[in-house]
Amino acid sequence: MKEKFKIALAQISCRREDKKANLQKIEEYAKKAKKQNAELVVFPELSLTGYTVRDEIYELAEKIPGPSTSIIEKLAKEIGIHVIFGMPELSEKTEATVYNSAVLVGPEGFIGKYRKMYLPTHSVFEEKRYFRPGYEVGAFKTELGKIGLTICYDIFFPEVIRLTRLEGAKLIVCISASPAIRRTYFETLTTARAIENAAFLAYVNLVGLEDGLQFWGGSRLIGPNGNIIAKAEYDEENLVVGEIDYADIRPVEIFVPTLRDLRPEIFEKIKVKTETL
Amino acid sequence: MNLKPSVLDLNWAEVETKIKRFVKDYVENSKAKGIVLGLSGGIDSSTAAALSALAIGGKKVLGLLLPEKETYNKRDIEDAKLVAEKFGLKTEIIDITPALEAIQKTIPAFNHEDKLCKGNLKARIRMVYIYYYANRLNLIVCGSSDKSEIMIGYFTKWGDVAADIAPLMDLYKTQVRKIAEHIGLPREIVQKPSSPSLWPGQMAEEEIGIKYETLDLILYGLEHFMKTEEIARQLGLEKVTVDKVKNRWKSMEHKRRMPLTTKIQYRTAGFDFRLPHHSMTH
Repeated sequence: MKEKFKIALAQISCRREDKKANLQKIEEYAKKAKKQNAELVVFPELSLTGYTVRDEIYELAEKIPGPSTSIIEKLAKEIGIHVIFGMPELSEKTEATVYNSAVLVGPEGFIGKYRKMYLPTHSVFEEKRYFRPGYEVGAFKTELGKIGLTICYDIFFPEVIRLTRLEGAKLIVCISASPAIRRTYFETLTTARAIENAAFLAYVNLVGLEDGLQFWGGSRLIGPNGNIIAKAEYDEENLVVGEIDYADIRPVEIFVPTLRDLRPEIFEKIKVKTETL
Repeated sequence: MNLKPSVLDLNWAEVETKIKRFVKDYVENSKAKGIVLGLSGGIDSSTAAALSALAIGGKKVLGLLLPEKETYNKRDIEDAKLVAEKFGLKTEIIDITPALEAIQKTIPAFNHEDKLCKGNLKARIRMVYIYYYANRLNLIVCGSSDKSEIMIGYFTKWGDVAADIAPLMDLYKTQVRKIAEHIGLPREIVQKPSSPSLWPGQMAEEEIGIKYETLDLILYGLEHFMKTEEIARQLGLEKVTVDKVKNRWKSMEHKRRMPLTTKIQYRTAGFDFRLPHHSMTH
């Protein structure tokens, strides 16, 4: 397993309902990332289809593994890179049950998928109308260490990131489609999640306009002590590369031992209180 | 939440960027040749026109000045021309009086005394002219409605509100004045009292019965889920005043939505046709 590697944050805008165009862009950015010696490139939430596709989701969703993941697998193999991207996933057992998923593939093929657990259905968001939530966190063993996958609104729920960390992920990736009014929340929470878990956190947001929503970009790689290692521009398509060195976790974990100090009984109480909220 | 006037302050440079990006993106994706809008010389249409010009270039923006005899105001025409000159817009002046009179003559039920119906007719005739140009020249119609007007329904259904895009619709009236000032609209236009000019002497604040500075704070409170008691307490108003604004906001929903139908089939416009909004052409 590599202790040190470069990760590229591919902050792109998507052409809605046009998988072909988006796959082309993913290929273009993955190649750019490889040129900058990145071993992992991350794309935003639902980057295969665009975020605001509403009822068209039923036309666009695919099984995982499926046709689009095969294309990405081929790409990953061809250029020798790991890729994380978002897509609507059609359940294997039904005809129209869809998940908002993140997919991880590597040079050796498909590695894993994560189904978004927290689906925002308030304000401009209507995800519960379209998606079934996932029930498991995603942490996958790779040659780049164990990588955790989370999606957007999950970041508001520290327990999701915590559990992903406790599964052994030292790099937690959060792919996102966040419109501009939420910028402050995400800028605060991404840093908090990195610090409280003594982990690297890679946040990759969409840019561009969809249905009047302006996605703000601002993707970033945050170190375990909360420092921003790499940051993409606001509002513009951008590819930035940052280095992850897992050796940086140890001193932080000693300095602020949040993992050592975890209290399991608190989680029991949270469970009980949540059930009776 | 403290309802002080500063809650309406935004980062105006950021707002300008967002509106320009929205307008440019929409026009480009629709493959239209530019924008057409009614230019009254008032704050809203002047601001919408100026921002459109800043977004896609004045040469691609056509401002239609559509005066009519009864409400003709020389200053409004001069102000509209001033904006056009400053931001490099193309303009055309069309007197809508002959069309208005012709239509009035052919409506058996027409009543000259009913100024509201007559006023709405003027707004709808202007819409007809604007959409003709949009259709003929492949232009996007840019509306000028602001959030205060939209919330209380202070507009003509299918009239001045009819548009393909409405870039000011998430800014309250007092905020439109601020962004107008920020982008360098002439002070006399920024400070001019607002009027829909549907009949002579019609003044918005007088008709609504409340100053925009107060109305916008009430609406801001409602937007932020505040209770009317609390809004009234903070602004030193009678609760009944705030309730009146809230009821007006609620009762005007019919002006903001697709026409209501009754659900008969599987999927229905206005109910559960939920498709992505793509930029359009006429």
